[in-house]
Amino acid sequence: MKNGRKLWFVMLATSMLLTLFLSACGKGGSSEGSSSDPVTITYYTIDSPDRTFVEKLIPDFESKHPNIKVKVDKAPYEQFDSKLQANIAAKKSPDITSHFGYGGFMEYYNKGLLTDLTDIMKVDNFKASDYGIQDELMNIYKVDGKTYGIPSNNYVTLMLYNKDMFDKAGVSYPPSDYEDKSWTFDKMIEMAKKLTVVSDDITKTQYGVDFGWGELDMRPAYFGAKVYSDDAWTNGGKPSETYFGSPEAIAAYQKWIGLIWDQKVSPPPAFSKAVAGQFGDPFLSGKIGMSVVGSWSLASQKDFNFKVGVAAVPIGGNKDVRSVLYVDPLFVLKDSKHPKEAYEFIKYMLTTEVQEKSIELSGGTPPVNDNAKEKYYNSFEGVDPQVIKQVYEGANKYGVESYNHLISNYSQLNELLINEFQSVQNGDQKVEAALPGIQEKITKLLERLNK
Amino acid sequence: MMNKQLISRGLAFLILIVCTAAMISPIFFMISTSLKTKSEMLLFPPTWIPQSFQWENFKELFTNDEIKFGVLYQNSIIIAVLTVIGTVFSSAVVAYGFSRYRGKGRNLMFMLMISTMMLPYPAIMIPQFLLFSEMNWMDTFLPLIVPAFFGSAYQIFLLRQFFNTLPNELYDSGKIDGASELRMFRSIALPLSGPALATVAIFSFVWSWNDLLAPVLYLNSQEKFTLPIGMAAMISSKFRIAPWNLLMCAAIMAVIPVVALFAVAQKRFTEGIVLTGIK
Amino acid sequence: MKLSASGRENFYFYLFIMPWLIGFIIFALYPIAASLFYSFTDYDIISSPKFVGLANYQELFQDELFYKSIWVTFKYTIISVPLTLILSLIFAMLINQKIPAKGFFRTAMYFPSMVSGVSMSLLWFWIFNPQIGFFNYILSWFGVKPQLWFLDEHLALWALIIMSFWGMGAGMLIFLAALQGVPASLLEAAKLDGASRWSTFWNVTFPMISPIFLFQLIMAIIESFQVFTPAYVMTQGGPNYSTRFYVYHLYESAFKNFRLGYASAMAWLLLIAVLIITYIIMKTSNHYVYYEGGKES
Repeated sequence: MKNGRKLWFVMLATSMLLTLFLSACGKGGSSEGSSSDPVTITYYTIDSPDRTFVEKLIPDFESKHPNIKVKVDKAPYEQFDSKLQANIAAKKSPDITSHFGYGGFMEYYNKGLLTDLTDIMKVDNFKASDYGIQDELMNIYKVDGKTYGIPSNNYVTLMLYNKDMFDKAGVSYPPSDYEDKSWTFDKMIEMAKKLTVVSDDITKTQYGVDFGWGELDMRPAYFGAKVYSDDAWTNGGKPSETYFGSPEAIAAYQKWIGLIWDQKVSPPPAFSKAVAGQFGDPFLSGKIGMSVVGSWSLASQKDFNFKVGVAAVPIGGNKDVRSVLYVDPLFVLKDSKHPKEAYEFIKYMLTTEVQEKSIELSGGTPPVNDNAKEKYYNSFEGVDPQVIKQVYEGANKYGVESYNHLISNYSQLNELLINEFQSVQNGDQKVEAALPGIQEKITKLLERLNK
Repeated sequence: MMNKQLISRGLAFLILIVCTAAMISPIFFMISTSLKTKSEMLLFPPTWIPQSFQWENFKELFTNDEIKFGVLYQNSIIIAVLTVIGTVFSSAVVAYGFSRYRGKGRNLMFMLMISTMMLPYPAIMIPQFLLFSEMNWMDTFLPLIVPAFFGSAYQIFLLRQFFNTLPNELYDSGKIDGASELRMFRSIALPLSGPALATVAIFSFVWSWNDLLAPVLYLNSQEKFTLPIGMAAMISSKFRIAPWNLLMCAAIMAVIPVVALFAVAQKRFTEGIVLTGIK
Repeated sequence: MKLSASGRENFYFYLFIMPWLIGFIIFALYPIAASLFYSFTDYDIISSPKFVGLANYQELFQDELFYKSIWVTFKYTIISVPLTLILSLIFAMLINQKIPAKGFFRTAMYFPSMVSGVSMSLLWFWIFNPQIGFFNYILSWFGVKPQLWFLDEHLALWALIIMSFWGMGAGMLIFLAALQGVPASLLEAAKLDGASRWSTFWNVTFPMISPIFLFQLIMAIIESFQVFTPAYVMTQGGPNYSTRFYVYHLYESAFKNFRLGYASAMAWLLLIAVLIITYIIMKTSNHYVYYEGGKES
């Protein structure tokens, strides 16, 4: 029986040693050395190749800053906000991030999650022009004159289209000129009808357009409807009134949903999810003719196995609102133990050289640095750089800042809308029947959150 | 009378054939999908047998940098093995205590232990989460492994049933030799409990292997993810198009250890169920 | 140190159960009490908990989603648990007959239950794919139109219920072992008395396996109250909240909306519900559960 005893003893000892070892691994991350020891900062981003390219920049950064080590943490888009809060709660807050998830700048600011960078920037003599950043952009992330975020990327909404599908159907390409007044929403529907083929054989089915203009609460803006009272833009993102149940908003949503169920030129969720998965993008499957989407989609250019074109978003209800602008800032989180080092990394990300490299590595992340813009326009194989430039400049001219940057508690609001709109998108409920209920729920939610 | 029996047996056999086919077909489809190309998997009606057997899919599963399947596997194994060791060891000790000794308050303790079998994890997960985050154990394997070393009610119950079947006379020879209580546990009770311990080991392995909620709560960095989290991530927005064929490969790979364990331990397992499950 | 005989029993008893006892206090008792405490607070993790009295409970009882999640969980439990239990018993009885290839059938029926957790969710998500899934394909043989399954708020929960049947093999194995424990002598006696098969089942077989049946029933209900994985992996509680199980709603409230107080109130209500239901089932079980040689503790 000696062997039996020995075995037990060995197993017990091994497991205890392993546990000790693992706990040492666990605690290791939080230990601090003297100021000469390298400091580790964490950069938290979305888990998709067009964002995680940052990992490839680390060796270069670390060679330029030998006392700073960078780790990249990531989460899928739909879990980004909750993981962030969970990490902060667990005292494992990342140092740098942006509002990559549902939630936006205002939400983070109102929760007291951001570090004021003004003093660090003053000591460093930070000049936006050194990094090709326009002053208006710097102002977006200032509150009471203090800077909480520095813009690093400049996304817009644009239209991607499948050139091969257009060629096959003999339809001429959509225009890229924002000054072309004939390019309207209805014209887009006409074009989409020529491309849509609905058949029992799913491999033959294709849809003319997938209209993903902004988040759900922004869509009415495209059609000229207002959903938040004007005080929201000046009081820190807390609208005193919301107008989701208004006739204008209902009409706007009807136009959008109508693409699926009335005009039948857009894919129902069943189709998109079957082809691309729960959170995927059906445009990549080659079954969508035109996709109105954020320009991050363009970064997947390597995954397109068809020729892609870039066009302007057609005119909807408001001729001045044709694109959503997503100026993404990098910010340093309040619980960061190394704000100075985090700031160094942010500066690094803004230099022309790195902004250009980022474009390459990510597949096409639009830079905020004006000096890197030429490189961006030239990065897309098969697409004329002039076209991209035209579309980008047009989008900026006729664009409006994304609500998720400006409305407080946006992530919960967005989550509510996504859930509530499912039955409407699936065709189970009509827009006009669902919206009053949705309006009520939003009012209740905002009451609770903004009290 | 003979005919009646034959008919009923024949009917049973027929029903079983049909039902078995129905039960097995999803597995067949799972394997078939795992060997298809990206384009073939999107065909409808689906092909039963893949046009070409894409064994490379499995290779891609492990080499794909976005999935890091090897890391997921490794993490799951480490956690499961440590959990099993902890559970088996501690549950055996506790079960023996409940079985062998008539201490004061034994019935109360036993009732308390049984009642924890019915304790829904969500009822305690929030304070446990806060506790573990205070101890700075977030994003480590510790919250998943350490509790296992304190016994698991279900396994304690099973093992107690088993130890109850060991007659007291068994220990008499030990007492005569002047052996200590601990010695008797180790040298007399344990060696006889092979099948029962194997059963506990299998149950706790499978439970840990498939656990999703606790890892979701405690693991944050990708290098620490376990199989369940990593596989669920494969249908998140991480992939612009869900790779169904790779997903099926992942499911197959995730199931293999469980199947292997059962196959190897099948005999001991059924013995164990009989010994501990009844009464 | 010389201990009396009972002192000795006490000492060793507590020595051996020490691991469990300590774990019970740290990982069960303390969290239960803490949960109760937090349920009376407003706690978002980032700031410290604020005492709000019964506000969380009041809000819960007015929350549409709370009732929805209870209804979803209840509907799922009441349909899936009895049916799965009965299925596993039926198949155990079928396999227990004198038929060829018993071992094959047993393994084949049990095998699917080894594909559990996330693997099972992924597989069935794929099978129920509305456009290219296996299930719709089989349905098309019977002339049934393709259904939306997880994208249809009326069908999503049913899809999950169907999926739960697939895992009946585990229970089947346990019932098989139980059936084999029914003394042959009793069955012989019944046959000699000319009892019909139905009568034999109800008066001999079922009573003999009733303790196991009760145990399985209770465990299945408790497990079914805690369904989380399919909601997390496949549906995120949708479409239109039709699969928003209680524990998923709790999880979202705690870790997505950061309302730990509110979620703790939900946790306590779940605990109470489980206790009540278990008590009811045990009380009513006296009518049909038979313990050989009197009641067991």
